[in-house]
Amino acid sequence: MAEMHGRDLTRRHVALGLLVALPLAFYLASGRSGDSAISAGGIGMAFAVSGATLFSILSSLEVDQRLVLGGYRPIELLLGRLLFLGPLGLVIAAGFSVLMATVSHPARPWLLGVGVGVVALQSVPFGLAVGATVPRELEGTLVLIGVIGLQLAAELTSPVSKVLPFYGAREVLAASASGHGPILWPLVETLAYGVALLLVARAFIAKRVDVHHHDPIGVDRPAQAPPVRA
Amino acid sequence: MVSRVCKRFKSLTVLEDVDLVVAGGEVVALTGENGAGKSTLMRICAGLVRPDRGTVTMGGRLGYCPQTPGLFELLTAEDHLVMFGRGAGMGRSESLSRGRAILEEFGYPIAERAVTRDLSGGTRQKLNLALALLTEPSVLLLDEPYQGFDRGTYVDFWDHCQRWRKEGKAVVVVTHMLAELERVDRVVELPAHPSRSRELVSA
Repeated sequence: MAEMHGRDLTRRHVALGLLVALPLAFYLASGRSGDSAISAGGIGMAFAVSGATLFSILSSLEVDQRLVLGGYRPIELLLGRLLFLGPLGLVIAAGFSVLMATVSHPARPWLLGVGVGVVALQSVPFGLAVGATVPRELEGTLVLIGVIGLQLAAELTSPVSKVLPFYGAREVLAASASGHGPILWPLVETLAYGVALLLVARAFIAKRVDVHHHDPIGVDRPAQAPPVRA
Repeated sequence: MVSRVCKRFKSLTVLEDVDLVVAGGEVVALTGENGAGKSTLMRICAGLVRPDRGTVTMGGRLGYCPQTPGLFELLTAEDHLVMFGRGAGMGRSESLSRGRAILEEFGYPIAERAVTRDLSGGTRQKLNLALALLTEPSVLLLDEPYQGFDRGTYVDFWDHCQRWRKEGKAVVVVTHMLAELERVDRVVELPAHPSRSRELVSA
């Protein structure tokens, strides 16, 4: 599944270009120096990778159900996307981190790379969870814009920021820019949030692509009770 | 075997007490007006939709060809054959050789690397049908599988139905093509207003 999603995405040249251009545009528009620029670049990465993940789920729900009918398990459909989009996000994050470190001169450049990589990785389960729970692309895109936009707009110390999925990553990015601040606890938070998002995605996608395998001929089952009418 | 299947979508009753039995070596045409529930019944039989009441039992491996091809737009026909074959436990070379053979029978020898988005509607439907046949199922549920076929391939499709009958497969074809009904063993009509299905023609 990862291979096939890879083939699909690598033929979408415009999408690939936007995956790189979107975080770059966010970063350049924010002035290229200081905490806010680094945060903006990181959050731009979230928009790009989450968006790619969201559309990979929502554009193929009918095919996914047929694949489950053909023998795949729902978890394999999710893992296929995770195993391709995660590494792709990390590759883009690596290149983008080098650029940001060169231009913005953060206090801890290595931590900048970690922070952007964490954003890229967290974006995949986030996109999977949104794609699995919303009915169509429009709703999913609006949720994406709302959540990630809020994450960018809210002050790092605000209660709103703390409950959103990229809070931990923002803390790491802030620590990379300033040279101080927590590192381990934000990473643990991000991991826990990511696992929770994956579980949500798994539960909802299993329901959406549910295939009922019928009893073979000859198996007796208790007769179904007729519905109760008021 | 479909027994007393009922299905409602919100306030609309689509299927009510539908019975259908198809034996191995039998080709059954499922007809009815638009909105009679033919595709819904096929999806229930395939397990993609759960009935509100009633049961479906089945013997053997299932091959389902939906009315609308469910394909990835930017994957090639070969990519689809490999992907669907892997789900059924087939290796890459086995999936490709079997899939190519099926597609050649329906007049689509895969020579180019075109993605499905660039294929004609009829060619996409041929791939759709090939994916249903890939694992050599013993039960075939085909929902208007010949849409967009050229005349020659359309005729070949019904010849293939005869071959599948001889091979002992149970075949259900949703069709509006009344001219071909003489080539099937039975015709079952789903009326627009739900009631028991009506058998029109028996062999």
